[in-house]
Amino acid sequence: MTSLLATVAIPDLLVFLLGALLCLVGAVSILTVKNPVHAALSLVMTLFGIAVLFIELQADFLAAVQIIVYAGAIVVLFLFVIMFLGVDREEDLAVEPIVGQRPLAAVLITALMASIVALGLVGHFEVGPATQTGMLHGGAGNVADLGRSVFTTYLFAFEATAGLLIIAVVGAVVLARRNNPDDHVAESQVEELA
Amino acid sequence: MTAADPLFSGSGLTLAVFLIVLIKVVVAFAVLMGAVTMMIWFERKAISDMQSRIGPNRVGPWGLLQTLADGIKLFFKEDLIPAESDRFVFKLAPYLVVVPAFLIFAVIPVGGMVTIAHHTFQLQVADPPMGILLVLACSGIAVYGVMLAGWASGSKYPLMSSVRASAQMVSYEAALGMNVVTVLLLCNSLSTRDIVNAQGGAFWHWNLIRTGIVPFVLFLIAATAELNRPPFDVVEADSELVGGFNTEYSSIRFALFYLAEFMNTITMSAVMVTLFFGGPAGPIPNIPHLRWVFPILWFTAKVVAFCFMYIWFRAALPRMRYDQLMDLGWKKLIPLSLAWMLLVAAAIISWRWALVALAAVVLGWSGLTWAFELGAERELADDAVLPTIGQRPLPGWELRHITDGDEDWEMDESDEDADSDEEVEA
Amino acid sequence: MNAYLPVFILMIVGILFAGLSFVASGLLAPRKKPTAAKLAPYECGIVPEREPPQRFPVRFYLVAMIFIVFDIEIVFMYPFAVVFRQLALFGFLEVAAFSVVLFAALLYLVSNGALSWGPAVILTRGMPSRTSESTITRISATKSTDGQAA
Repeated sequence: MTSLLATVAIPDLLVFLLGALLCLVGAVSILTVKNPVHAALSLVMTLFGIAVLFIELQADFLAAVQIIVYAGAIVVLFLFVIMFLGVDREEDLAVEPIVGQRPLAAVLITALMASIVALGLVGHFEVGPATQTGMLHGGAGNVADLGRSVFTTYLFAFEATAGLLIIAVVGAVVLARRNNPDDHVAESQVEELA
Repeated sequence: MTAADPLFSGSGLTLAVFLIVLIKVVVAFAVLMGAVTMMIWFERKAISDMQSRIGPNRVGPWGLLQTLADGIKLFFKEDLIPAESDRFVFKLAPYLVVVPAFLIFAVIPVGGMVTIAHHTFQLQVADPPMGILLVLACSGIAVYGVMLAGWASGSKYPLMSSVRASAQMVSYEAALGMNVVTVLLLCNSLSTRDIVNAQGGAFWHWNLIRTGIVPFVLFLIAATAELNRPPFDVVEADSELVGGFNTEYSSIRFALFYLAEFMNTITMSAVMVTLFFGGPAGPIPNIPHLRWVFPILWFTAKVVAFCFMYIWFRAALPRMRYDQLMDLGWKKLIPLSLAWMLLVAAAIISWRWALVALAAVVLGWSGLTWAFELGAERELADDAVLPTIGQRPLPGWELRHITDGDEDWEMDESDEDADSDEEVEA
Repeated sequence: MNAYLPVFILMIVGILFAGLSFVASGLLAPRKKPTAAKLAPYECGIVPEREPPQRFPVRFYLVAMIFIVFDIEIVFMYPFAVVFRQLALFGFLEVAAFSVVLFAALLYLVSNGALSWGPAVILTRGMPSRTSESTITRISATKSTDGQAA
């Protein structure tokens, strides 16, 4: 453990601790707060923590994307849904939507943690100096590297994303569409007024 | 793809470097606060001139200290937290508005290089490799401040205002980002310093000219909407929504919202100057020891020009309706930005491809026109995606009932063919 | 990472500024004397009768959903713009194909009326055009029929 710490500079360690703290505090409070809007805000905190970790790894672009897409768009959608459904009242944590979900979750988390610990005990990790295991290009070169691999090596995945996005659009419209025209009260009255 | 701030290129983070950073931050903070007080005074004064009023003229010379007086006054006001509010979020929201407003200014290049005590550094608070994305990230976070301020107030008009505002800001963020991409096509770097350096020299090197003016116009419109400034200030449409999302705020919390609004106006002007007008670029007379002053002067002059333009907008343009606003954002700005981005990309490759792209854009535009017509029809159809707001029966019915007197109107749906209607026709 | 140090410090300064203003206001402001009227939602002096709406039109959800789609597209464009000179024509064609697909999504949305907010079309069709003249005509028509009935 000391060898691992020795390779990490103190500022790096501080930034990592800050990011990890943000992530964990956010993640725990998502589960424990009762108000869904507060939970969404905790999620933003977690995402912000992850952005800090990305910066610590010199993945600047991913950090920005983390904030722009996840915090700036997806959680905004969550908040809209919370407001749209009108669930912004306190939730009763005693109610279990799925029967036996809590014991199941406890078992799964224990198994997961146990396997991680087991991996840490059994496995053997090479921890070299930062120059060997570190980045290809620091900071500015990052985006260019990312761009080159997205637009050459992973071209198919990139174009497939477009297909995925269009499915998302169609799905959203289909979900939002009124299925039953009869439940629309106003139509006939409007016709009559005309 | 040049190196980052030379300040950090030396022997790591020494105390001197840290002090310079600290001084830069404090100076930036002080300058921003000063600029905001001046901006508020300038806005009030310029608008009153345009409306043949005098405006603030009591506190200090030409009323210059009016903003300061107002700010101090607000410290002494009772700080109310409404009974219906969500106290935690209500207190959090001002932070979420103010902090991003400060952060955006961090990546703006204010001047050139300066050497003090053997330390060369840029006149810019920070130059991260993804600088311009920080601007977009901050404006994404600022949406939360507005959204949560209205929601936490527990009052219906602020809530409506904040839902409107967040949908508006989110919509225009897409157009904003698309036009940034057009600029990046020419500069090939996300760092604001590189973007500015790529536009050095005379004014025809500015991105304004090189991208063909259109992206600038689109960016300006999107930025105005992003700032919720007139003519896109449906958020605080006083006649509909009392005072907007910050109606329930009082005392210094209200002042912070106000501060953030004007600070955002200044920083967004600075972003536009950086992206399209070469930032601090401009002719520098050869005066010894004072050469570093001129970029700052040029930068300030450009930003002030933009601030004046925003004030002019507010005095001259009537507010848009919400549906017009959303239509403008989604149906015009986004397709236009996308089209122009592709055109610029094609033109960089060769003029032949530019012609091909032009043909594709014309084709796409005609497709869009056709889709508009189709959409207008589908809107009225039975299986329309959404019932339109104007179809709600209440206003028409009640209005008629009140103004037309007793007409035996049956309000229940079963008996819609009320005789009175035929009577009226007769 | 050093490049973010000033950003971080500026963030701290911003938070401190906001926090200290609240503290200063707490010290300087008069003692809170809340009354029911002060703490009630402000609606220009009218006593609030209805609760704030609990639900909002699905349209807002649609806008947020569609924004995600376009936001992701734009996020792909940033690295593209950075390496554009190296990719040249190949990159342009890739992005053009990508944009065409997303443009099709926009066409779908527009042609479905999913991005329409306006009551304008419906209003002109649905609501009677109300001028003072038409109201007078209608009232007088109602009166005359009343008279005939009597």
